[in-house]
Amino acid sequence: MSNIDQKLLRHKVENINTLPTVPTVLKRLSAIIEKPRITMVEISNFISNDPALTSKVLKMVNSAIYGFPGRISSVSHATMLLGLNVIKGLLLGVSVFELMQKTMNGLYEHSLACAVVSRTIAQKKGLKDPEEVSVAGLLHDIGKVVLMLEFQKEYEAAMKEAQTKRISIFEAEQNQFGATHAHVGSWLAEKWRFPRNLIEVMEFHHRPALAKNAPLETAIVHLADILVRARGCGFAGENLVPAVHPAAFELIALAEADIKDVLKEMENNMEAAEDLS
Amino acid sequence: MPKIPAAKLEPGMKLARPITAKSGMVMLGEGTELSDMWIERIRDMNIASVFIEGPPIQTISKEEALSNLEERFSQVEGKPYMNLIKKIVKEHVEGLYE
Repeated sequence: MSNIDQKLLRHKVENINTLPTVPTVLKRLSAIIEKPRITMVEISNFISNDPALTSKVLKMVNSAIYGFPGRISSVSHATMLLGLNVIKGLLLGVSVFELMQKTMNGLYEHSLACAVVSRTIAQKKGLKDPEEVSVAGLLHDIGKVVLMLEFQKEYEAAMKEAQTKRISIFEAEQNQFGATHAHVGSWLAEKWRFPRNLIEVMEFHHRPALAKNAPLETAIVHLADILVRARGCGFAGENLVPAVHPAAFELIALAEADIKDVLKEMENNMEAAEDLS
Repeated sequence: MPKIPAAKLEPGMKLARPITAKSGMVMLGEGTELSDMWIERIRDMNIASVFIEGPPIQTISKEEALSNLEERFSQVEGKPYMNLIKKIVKEHVEGLYE
């Protein structure tokens, strides 16, 4: 049974700006992106005023992960091309990079690989905004970072439980916290005013049948998570491949050759990933 | 696409990724064939390593990679579509060693 009250947990997560363990850069970013009517110009200025952040964002958009290799040289160009939601997601992604490295070694590689795989599948399925699906892949496990930051002891216990009982980290979190990284991620996504679809993907990437607004996007990130784990890329809490949800696999309906292409695309991009820090 | 330390670059190698300055500006584009002059410049710029076109270098042996794969799939044997996914990933991993 969990010994943490769900309401208290949610309250803590939603007040991430006041958590002492959260680094200033993420707090500042969180305060910016939760504004209800944030404009492209404000985001652009926020990035441009921080040289370290600027260089991280440009590196990321110019990596093959976003599909514009080497063509974007300014922040304003990047925000124009990618749109507000993708840029918000990207900013979070680059800002939690170091945190991910510190809190769970390998989680960033796992997340980047999920971003690449999600984008590749989305493109194969002809989705309108493959970059948005890519951001969902990049951020789907952000709840793990926050849980680890705020409840390190409990989270380590969950990882240990997953390892000894050979269960998924998702189940172990449920046992420890009475909630999972998927809940935590969706609470944050809501707080940060991400679009409904992204919130849904984060909430249901382990239970894709529950997605109502974005079933295909959710199924894509669900499958991406499984393929990345299958390949053994990065680390997301334990080393087991979870079973794919059959209906989600059928909904995406990729041919064998398509899945092979997806794996190749991941392979090509992962070596470049270490360069993004 | 292996990452090669600047000290080990040789003329004729081709860049698999562009070389960018701190600001994100592209200095040498993807596909550039390295000449002695470019290699010298890269070393002058204090760039530690660059991505070169070619097959990836694997850090673990094929046997180890395949046994890790078996281990990862150990809890989902026989679940719907998991044997198919395993087969595809296994072929993919084997392909990395050819």
